[in-house]
Amino acid sequence: MARRVSRRVLAEYVAEVIVGGGDMPLTTQQLAAHLVVTRRTKELDMIMRDVSFILADKGIVSGTVISAYELAQETKKAIQSYVADVSKAKSISLSYQLDQAVIGGYKVSLPGSQIDRTISHQLTQLKTRFKKV
Amino acid sequence: MTFIRQFAAETAEAETGLFGALGIDVRLLILQIIAFLILVFLLGKFVYPWLMKQVDERQANIEAAAEAATSAQKSAAESQEQTAHLLAKARKEAAEIVSTAKLESTEIMIASEKKAKKSAERIVSDAHSQIDKDIANAKKELHNQTIELIALATEKVTAGALDGKIDNDRITKALKESQ
Repeated sequence: MARRVSRRVLAEYVAEVIVGGGDMPLTTQQLAAHLVVTRRTKELDMIMRDVSFILADKGIVSGTVISAYELAQETKKAIQSYVADVSKAKSISLSYQLDQAVIGGYKVSLPGSQIDRTISHQLTQLKTRFKKV
Repeated sequence: MTFIRQFAAETAEAETGLFGALGIDVRLLILQIIAFLILVFLLGKFVYPWLMKQVDERQANIEAAAEAATSAQKSAAESQEQTAHLLAKARKEAAEIVSTAKLESTEIMIASEKKAKKSAERIVSDAHSQIDKDIANAKKELHNQTIELIALATEKVTAGALDGKIDNDRITKALKESQ
């Protein structure tokens, strides 16, 4: 029977492997095996979020950019530069997703923060501002 | 009796003077006087006292009855007078009660009218207030729905007018401005 390790310890271990450039496939397998054995697979999302937070503390920020249309390389670079400027991170890793619901603009989700410059968000803000309670 | 008859016969034979001339038998007269006196004595001794006593008692009873009748009459008169007085008092009190009741009923009617008027005014006021509130709510709802419609229309128009290039240009421009 495997010893139960706390979520925080697991996240710190994974983050150290990422920062130290360790064997990621092996670490991933180990983490997956531990979660399966200890029947904690539902905690995976929370562990990955903890890993993101720990990495952000160490200056390595990973985030997600959502836009309605495919972004050009120049735009991606501009967003990355902007995020680096805002988060003061040494390393930034962004993944890109498409979502027509945002209509236009972009939304960057970072550990602990969010930059929402989408048209849908602006419309929601307008509606909220002008609606009477 | 025999002795008396003999005495009377002897006396009649002996005296035949003035009384005899008048046809009066003296002995018989004397005997009658004696009998009368005896009778008077007996009556005075035994009959008259009893009779007088009976008469006195009867008179006393009659007087008592008369007195009782007078007293009863007087009492009846007093009672009648008292009854009349009570009746008058009762009539007066009844009249006062009726008068008071009329006054109170009038006051109650006035109070009820005032209350009803007040209640009606309050109902009207509440209704006005509710109508104002409903109008305000309707206006607010209309305003909010208009905002929703405007937002929806803007969303549609923007989505229709936007393409990838425009969006990229807009994002780049916004980023440059923010930097």
